[in-house]
Amino acid sequence: MADVLAGRFPVSIITGFLGSGKTTLINKLLKRPDMNRVAVIVNELGEQAIDNDLVEVSSEQMMLLNNGCLCCVLRGDLQETLRDLFVKRRNGDIIDFDRVIIETTGLADPAPVMQTLMTDDMLQAHYRMDCVVTLADAVNGLEQLETMQEPVKQAALADRIVITKSDIAGEETTAKLEARLRSLNPQAPIKRAVNGEIDLAFLIDVGLRDMKGKLEDIERWMGEPDEHGEHHRHDATVKSFCLRFDEPMTWAAFSQTMEVLGALRGSDMLRVKGLVNVAEHKGPMVVQGVQHLFHPPVELAAWPSADHSTRIVFITRKIPRETVANLFAAIGAVTATA
Amino acid sequence: MKPTMSPQSQAAQTISRNMKLVSHNELAGFGGIGEGINMQVAKDGRRILWLAHESAPKNFTGVDVTDPKNPKVVVQTDLPHEGVRSNSLDVVGDIMAVAYQTKKVGDKPAGMDLFDISTPEKPKLISHFDASGPHSRGAHCVWFVDGEYVHLTSGSGDFEPTHPNDFQFYRIIDVRNPSKPKEVGRWHYPGTHKGDKEAPPPRHPRFDGGYRPHNINVYPERPDRAYMAYLDGGAVILDISDKANPKMVTNWKYSPPFNGFCHTVMPLFGRDLLIVTDECTKDDGIDWPKLGFVVNASVETNLVPVSTLPLPPVESFAKRGGRYGAHNLHENLPGPASFRSNTLVVGTFFNGGVRAFDTSNPYQPQEVGYFVPGAPKLSPKGAVQINDVWVDEKGLVYAVDRFGGGLYVIEMTV
Repeated sequence: MADVLAGRFPVSIITGFLGSGKTTLINKLLKRPDMNRVAVIVNELGEQAIDNDLVEVSSEQMMLLNNGCLCCVLRGDLQETLRDLFVKRRNGDIIDFDRVIIETTGLADPAPVMQTLMTDDMLQAHYRMDCVVTLADAVNGLEQLETMQEPVKQAALADRIVITKSDIAGEETTAKLEARLRSLNPQAPIKRAVNGEIDLAFLIDVGLRDMKGKLEDIERWMGEPDEHGEHHRHDATVKSFCLRFDEPMTWAAFSQTMEVLGALRGSDMLRVKGLVNVAEHKGPMVVQGVQHLFHPPVELAAWPSADHSTRIVFITRKIPRETVANLFAAIGAVTATA
Repeated sequence: MKPTMSPQSQAAQTISRNMKLVSHNELAGFGGIGEGINMQVAKDGRRILWLAHESAPKNFTGVDVTDPKNPKVVVQTDLPHEGVRSNSLDVVGDIMAVAYQTKKVGDKPAGMDLFDISTPEKPKLISHFDASGPHSRGAHCVWFVDGEYVHLTSGSGDFEPTHPNDFQFYRIIDVRNPSKPKEVGRWHYPGTHKGDKEAPPPRHPRFDGGYRPHNINVYPERPDRAYMAYLDGGAVILDISDKANPKMVTNWKYSPPFNGFCHTVMPLFGRDLLIVTDECTKDDGIDWPKLGFVVNASVETNLVPVSTLPLPPVESFAKRGGRYGAHNLHENLPGPASFRSNTLVVGTFFNGGVRAFDTSNPYQPQEVGYFVPGAPKLSPKGAVQINDVWVDEKGLVYAVDRFGGGLYVIEMTV
């Protein structure tokens, strides 16, 4: 069986609050010796632009950096840019990149960016979502989360959260921000960037790279189990929970439940990811969705461990766990066990 | 967005998708390989890849690829003089057939050698099949898969073509006694032999590649069929159920309008399809398009092309140096170390590297992988010229450069 994941180029989305240091992070990433074949898509070349020396610049705002990477300014829509990159790579017109990093603007909603990879057949065939990294600035983060919608969504959709400027903000403020972020997204591991230094291994190869279904890969992708439970304050608006089903379900049970949720509350279904035990399938189905859109499911070669239960993480806006569990019971006739 | 790289820097970089380099071997400085690759599983278990060289001074090279990460040259042999090339070989068990083609008619050695390669380090000549003659340049290609017959693209001492470019034809050589190979049948394109009642076929108006067979493929699945690429004559299928009297079943002649030099006709058994490739023979895109066709062969007497293997645009590759276009395929040979698939097709495209296609939907074949090595050191063309490919039963891809690049061992992840 062909491994449909193995040949796809990983795409990382670096998002984050205004002034949270996205460009700094990307610059650090590109300085790693093993990050020498990256295509970076940025919105603009501002004063804080990629600080690598530019070696060749085309009139069309695509440039080679001296470490071999390609930097390309988003023109028009992302879909076209990603398609163009694939075609030019195949033709050997640009570098043979092995990874794409997309830097969003500070005010961007990452959901449409993620959805671009799910809706376009060509992009789906050639790229895969690796990781959404959200940067939160410890100095201004709390206030931004209170006063703006975008940072809340950026944090809720993240696979990894990096707190920057903790050295300036101090421990107390940083701890408060961390607790707030954890309440928004308990699954996403959080790390602090100390003196601008970030453990880059934390940020890459988060998404599933192949269909082998190794336990460590699955755990890395699914994120941290929400073991904090009632011990920490959950956000009033953003809900995060994991549903488990011990018994296999039919594909119709899963997909129809998701369709109903998507149709009625699509914009409030921020992110869904998990493994589904579909009756009569050998390996688990990997499912992931952003709002009303789902990526086509991929069946892994085998279950990662003896635990064959379905587990699905939901991050929603004001949709409580009970509602989703009840829908599964009503539509799919399956009962969540935890 | 415009390219940000010059043709030279484009040719310098390795590009790949779903294919990863496992190892590279320059074959002791003689890295110019022709279009003969076959893998022997020796009695001691070693896996020996046999490679026929593109041109003199070397004849053939045996590479131990038991550990594909560390290929080792175990033997490399010399040709008697600069006026002869080997180009093609095949292996069955411990017997290897090697073709010899001379630059000039009348020259020797012209024909085929059979070697005993039971000790790979010491190939022993069993016999020489002489195909020399006043109008012959010997043999260009061998097809030897059953241990009994060699299907040979060759001239012969008694064959005088009607046009000097048509100096080779199809000869069936019985090698059941390898010490005494003998011809048991032959076929040539009507009108190419002096004395034929048919008129000589028309010459290609732009690129007269000639009317000669290139590859002649005969498979155990259809021992009564020879699938033959006849250069400017296109694809030919022969009925060889009576080896003494081969008969033409069909001929798909598509040049002109195309630019001739039909190179390989490979059936995909069970699917009634053929993959027909051209050979690009000119540098800088002069003879483009040189394609791989997917052909519906469900009615054998009415071959209908239904698609071509999708390639990157000629504008991107034509000026990188050397040739760009179709050439050899991995031909699904029988044998213990040969990959066989009736959907996945792996081919070579000179500076377009080695490329893999999924033909599950014959109307829309998909490219699923490619590996284009950066220009080899001192490459006379300034770009790689991937000439031939072998895929082993584990899916490892062995691709060779026509000039100095040697052997590239590639892992395919499709």
